[in-house]
Amino acid sequence: MTDFDACAARALDTASARGAAYADVRFEEDRAERIEVRNGSVATLTDRTSAGYGVRALFDGAWGFAASADTSDAGIDRTAARAVEIARAGAAIASRRFGEAPQDRYVDTFATPYERDAASVPLGERVALLLDAERALHAAPSIRAGRAWIDLWHTGKVFYSTTGSRIEQSLLQTGSGMSALAAADGEAQDRSYPGDVGLYQGGGWEIVEAAQLRENAQRIGEEAAALLVAPQCPSGEFDIVLGGSQVSLQIHESCGHAAELDRIMGWEANFSGTSFLDPAQLGTLRYGSDRVTIEIDNTMPRGFATVGYDDEGAKSGRSDIIRSGMLVGFEMSRDTARTLGRETNACVRAGGWEHVPMIRMCNLSLLPGDVPFDALFDGVDYGIYMESNRSWSIDDHRLNFQFGCQIAWEIRNGKRGRMLKNPTYAGVTPQFWNSCDAIADERSWLAWGTPNCGKGEPMQTGRTAQAASPARFRKVRVGVGYDG
Amino acid sequence: MDSAAREALAERVLSFAPDGETEVLVFDVDSGLTRFTQNAIHQNVAHVDTSVRVRTIVDGRTGVVMTNALDDASLRAAVANARAIGALAPRDDDAAGLVANAPVAAPDGAFDTATATASPAERARVVADIVRVVEGAGLWAAGYVTNERSGITIANSSGTRSSYDTTSCGLNVKANGDDSTGFAERNSIRFDDLDGTSAGTIATEKTLASKAPVTVEPGEWTVILEPPAFGELLSYLTGHFSAQSYDEGSSFLANGLDRAYAGDDVTLSDDYAHPLFAGQPFDYEGYPTRRLSLLERGVAHELVTDSAWAKRLHRSNTGHGLPAPSAYGPAVQHLVVAGGTQSAADLVRGTKRGLLVTRFWYIRPVDHIKTIVTGMTRDGTFLIENGEIVGGVRNMRFNQSILEALGAATFSSEIARTGGYSYASIVPTVKIENFRFSSGTDF
Repeated sequence: MTDFDACAARALDTASARGAAYADVRFEEDRAERIEVRNGSVATLTDRTSAGYGVRALFDGAWGFAASADTSDAGIDRTAARAVEIARAGAAIASRRFGEAPQDRYVDTFATPYERDAASVPLGERVALLLDAERALHAAPSIRAGRAWIDLWHTGKVFYSTTGSRIEQSLLQTGSGMSALAAADGEAQDRSYPGDVGLYQGGGWEIVEAAQLRENAQRIGEEAAALLVAPQCPSGEFDIVLGGSQVSLQIHESCGHAAELDRIMGWEANFSGTSFLDPAQLGTLRYGSDRVTIEIDNTMPRGFATVGYDDEGAKSGRSDIIRSGMLVGFEMSRDTARTLGRETNACVRAGGWEHVPMIRMCNLSLLPGDVPFDALFDGVDYGIYMESNRSWSIDDHRLNFQFGCQIAWEIRNGKRGRMLKNPTYAGVTPQFWNSCDAIADERSWLAWGTPNCGKGEPMQTGRTAQAASPARFRKVRVGVGYDG
Repeated sequence: MDSAAREALAERVLSFAPDGETEVLVFDVDSGLTRFTQNAIHQNVAHVDTSVRVRTIVDGRTGVVMTNALDDASLRAAVANARAIGALAPRDDDAAGLVANAPVAAPDGAFDTATATASPAERARVVADIVRVVEGAGLWAAGYVTNERSGITIANSSGTRSSYDTTSCGLNVKANGDDSTGFAERNSIRFDDLDGTSAGTIATEKTLASKAPVTVEPGEWTVILEPPAFGELLSYLTGHFSAQSYDEGSSFLANGLDRAYAGDDVTLSDDYAHPLFAGQPFDYEGYPTRRLSLLERGVAHELVTDSAWAKRLHRSNTGHGLPAPSAYGPAVQHLVVAGGTQSAADLVRGTKRGLLVTRFWYIRPVDHIKTIVTGMTRDGTFLIENGEIVGGVRNMRFNQSILEALGAATFSSEIARTGGYSYASIVPTVKIENFRFSSGTDF
């Protein structure tokens, strides 16, 4: 058993002795279990454990980060010294200083609340659930591939800093889902459930049970088969209603990434891009209609990104991004918040021990509205109801987007009608959110997790959440990509 | 960790398995990346790691465990856990089993010592070269410089012992002006190829040349795609050549092999041994990778397979397996597009009216089987009139079938290695007729 306290003391002492004005070290052990069933066979049954630590060192306003799995005295010395060497290399050519030593000190622990530890569920029971669900997906001869999966993550981490922080956290994240591929006569259609990637949340086996894979598998298979012969979604300008998981993706792409302050400051300019937002727009930009309120809550029960403290040792809390349609905040780190004269809202995460912490949207939620789901169809003479993402693309300023969904239904005179295939819609971020005139209430509000958010260089895979319920948008361009 | 140490580690793991079939993959990496923005370094990182993947097959039941704890007790536990997982898994009588092969030699030039040992200070010097050029033109630069050494060893109880060591490095730079941006990249095995001054100059010239961009109408355009744009576009085609996609009907090849799917000038291959790749000569099951043609003058003849899909479809194993078992099937790893006869400059000169695209962003499939994808232009899009670049245009969104694009394509004679986090390819600049743009932006 590694003595993290002793290792941390050595790492921080070494970094300080090498000249670091501040240093922190994050020890992490990440365990990931994945089971995936495909066409009646167990295609993946893996258990991955990766343990290591990353040292951040600040020298003359420049950050260095080095990571290693070697916890020997020599390994720790080498890694801490490397972090300082890297910081010095940056400082040597620096024309400006991005970093400043934090002053916070926390000594605390946090553990994800859960009802049943997924690891305590016998493996045979987990596999049986997936085999049952996958078998039921084959509801028609045209189903050529069925898949069902469960992901379990347990992350143990201990953070130490030269300011005296010691923060120990035990995080549980769980997800499951399934998909059916139907193909015939040169046509192929996918359906997946829940949402497009599954249901991913913070917690234990109760998250898998909430997904109700067995209960929904046959319907999903039938829908995939039916899509092969469904009429094409029309092209034009229509009112649309989006299912909750698609609203979640819409938040992720056109609000969450747009409001990352590192992106706004140009820190992601060469890769994931910048943002159409500017700090001068705080309090003045009408981002959406007055029904749109989007907040960060990194303490949210079942939030996929819920933690006690972020990966630069700042305490989780709640903060607003959009309040009644007005832009009021960003996702921030300490260094970026300081440029606005604000405090960090603890939105910094690393994609593993080997990665440097960076700004993430964490748990970002569109607050529920005040009408039942079915009422979203009221007042729609002709429109399209779309569910479950199939395609997503947005420009590098987060303005021009085009999304596709797996399935749609016509709305005629306030009623849901026939099934349509290949629905797509497109828009420009502020105009789109300003066209939102109804959001379903808390009964259909769900904390949808995103297990595969890519950002940064080297690329890091982040786990975020966007809680949402279905919502209605008026006069949206529909059918792009299929309109000739 | 060198190949001898990795092989010793793999032997140690194999010695902990009493019976049945056991496969060990050892991955080793030492990488550094220096990232900059606004003409200064803001992220500067490095990491080293060695990890082991153990696959056991006992009585037709497979289990997999991965760990980076390399002491004997942890490795014994990894083997035991893989067997325990497998014991609870359903028996799969159709599983392909482990492959048995002699070592395969790596292509010449796969490893460069200067790349393996490049320091943070050396990366910073390349950054400084870039910044000097960009800042000197009154612009600001964002990008990265990276170098990496990596190695893999595959050993199994059927006698396979294969190791491969390589280096890689790269830089990219986006030069930013008031109303325009420009991009350049370098990807190589050798650190000496990272010429920051040259890349900074290209990015700067693109930014200055696209100042005060104009809006052009969406619709069908003749486009010239430079390698970063074309390589990313084609990364959404390679999955169609997987035997799994073919079998399940999600590939356009489900319409049949030995048919023409693209124009006569289009030849795509998978070639790990291309000198710009000098890639891994075996797959993640240890099977020798075959260099093969994907589209030969527009006609598809081959699928990529692994041991499982070769057995299932009664085809030969082409050695394109991912770590087994894989839910995603075999994959094209080293795409090479044959160049043409004209220079990239000639392609521009021969264009009466069109658009030159430096780079795409956020391409995603719209309709997978029809190969329709959407995405945005980015960081240097130019209007061509009467064979001359006349200025920058604001960015646009496209919706385009890749196969239709390849139906009327002309390639440059120059080729370049390009890549992202999920693909690497060697491609020329390409001229495509009737490329469909659906909307624009105000930047």
